[in-house]
Amino acid sequence: MSAAGGRHEDRDEHRDWDELAVGWALHALEPEDEDRFAAHLATCPSCARTAAETAEVMAAMAADLPPAEPSEGLRDRLRAAVEVTEQLRPQQPVRSALPPSVPAAPRPALGSTGVRDLRAPRSPRVPDRRPAWRRVLPTALVAAAVAAVLSLSAWNVVVTGDRDAAQATAAQQEQMLDALLAPGRATIAPVEADGHTVGTVVARADEVQVVATGLPVNDSHDTTYVVWGMGGEVPVPLGEFDVVTPEMDLRTVGSAATGLDEFSRYAISIEPGRQAPSYPTEVVAEGQVTS
Amino acid sequence: MCLVSRPPRSQEDGAADLELVRRVAAGDRGAVDDLYQRFRRPAFALARRVLADDVLAEDVLQDVFLSIWRDPSAFDGSRGSVASWLLAMVHHKAVDAVRREESHRRRQARAEDDLVLSAPTQTTNVEDTAWERIVAERVRTALHGLPAPQREALTLAYYGGYTQREVAALTDTPLGTVKTRMLAGMRRLKDTLGTGLPGQNLADGGSR
Repeated sequence: MSAAGGRHEDRDEHRDWDELAVGWALHALEPEDEDRFAAHLATCPSCARTAAETAEVMAAMAADLPPAEPSEGLRDRLRAAVEVTEQLRPQQPVRSALPPSVPAAPRPALGSTGVRDLRAPRSPRVPDRRPAWRRVLPTALVAAAVAAVLSLSAWNVVVTGDRDAAQATAAQQEQMLDALLAPGRATIAPVEADGHTVGTVVARADEVQVVATGLPVNDSHDTTYVVWGMGGEVPVPLGEFDVVTPEMDLRTVGSAATGLDEFSRYAISIEPGRQAPSYPTEVVAEGQVTS
Repeated sequence: MCLVSRPPRSQEDGAADLELVRRVAAGDRGAVDDLYQRFRRPAFALARRVLADDVLAEDVLQDVFLSIWRDPSAFDGSRGSVASWLLAMVHHKAVDAVRREESHRRRQARAEDDLVLSAPTQTTNVEDTAWERIVAERVRTALHGLPAPQREALTLAYYGGYTQREVAALTDTPLGTVKTRMLAGMRRLKDTLGTGLPGQNLADGGSR
């Protein structure tokens, strides 16, 4: 049937649009109907009202479901994610040093046009004496990591369809997030191989972490990866780690040394044996501290 | 239309919700926590009903609340309540997820259950508050008041996440009839529940 054409001529000319408005709010339209209706909705206050009223009824229908409580972990994960996520349109003028903002989230079903009346007065900010990049980079990195991890998780679930695996993945992500969000200063150096970022070195005063995103899994019996601090006269081995999964993973590099965040560049090498040599055998990725 | 029946969430609730969204727009991270506290249960109940998977349902909630934090200006107060906006977003994302994730086979198998469940669900009344019970009871009564084919079409679309064409196939009904049933059922529920936009509807110049 044609949506806009009336089966009953003028009298019910709008009825087909009303039907589409209900289907649209329910997210139950076929793609072609959805496109057609979205164009109509923009110009039709009556359909906007029908869609809004349908959404109100839907919200009421949500009340008639078995009561259910999400896990406490979700509240913590949400809090952590909010903590490291910048708002789309910051209240403060954007500084030139800020990285590009996180991409816009998809708009919700009710294609509401943004209004500006929710704008609030600017909130005062406590001055931060750290250099600008130190303030913003960890946030940017973690936001990117969170986004990547979330997409990985969706992929895992599709492939395995296994609830235990999904839960294990979620727990692992949570640990990774916690580790990345550990308080304190951190120096961030994305490391590249052949022009592709294969990992990120996160150096703190007493600990080095590597977020591996594209390093091959190594044979942990007779090889090891080594992180090197560069920029001095000779490379300084900071510690060994193994890559155990081709997926994104956070490895904490065993090292008892301090002052690990003093280098201007970091490199990763693959080494025969399980101990760092005094000089890297084969550097597989390298990168500058971002500044 | 809502002289007798009270909307499920009162005007005061609506005003408090609006204030929370204003705080989010002002950059107050704690307001996201408060919104979560307020809506986590209906949001989770809805997402897990659509997805039949608690882990995926929690992912949807995280996605929804985080996107509210990122872009609170997506809320348009002239288009309805915070509750309906938020739960519509939960529904939309849950349905997207179920369409992404479910294999054709699983979906077919689950359709059988959904047809059974198109009768309103029973609450267990274990943890819910008295007020929640009253609301649920009103909704259940309203749903029961619908002719069965209308109830079936709406619950399959809303709780099951099926498109109008899928509902038509599942119920062996022409697509046009399904569309008509959904519209008629929605109008009737709206009148019974009094869940039109608070105060007045937009055609009357709705101000809020």
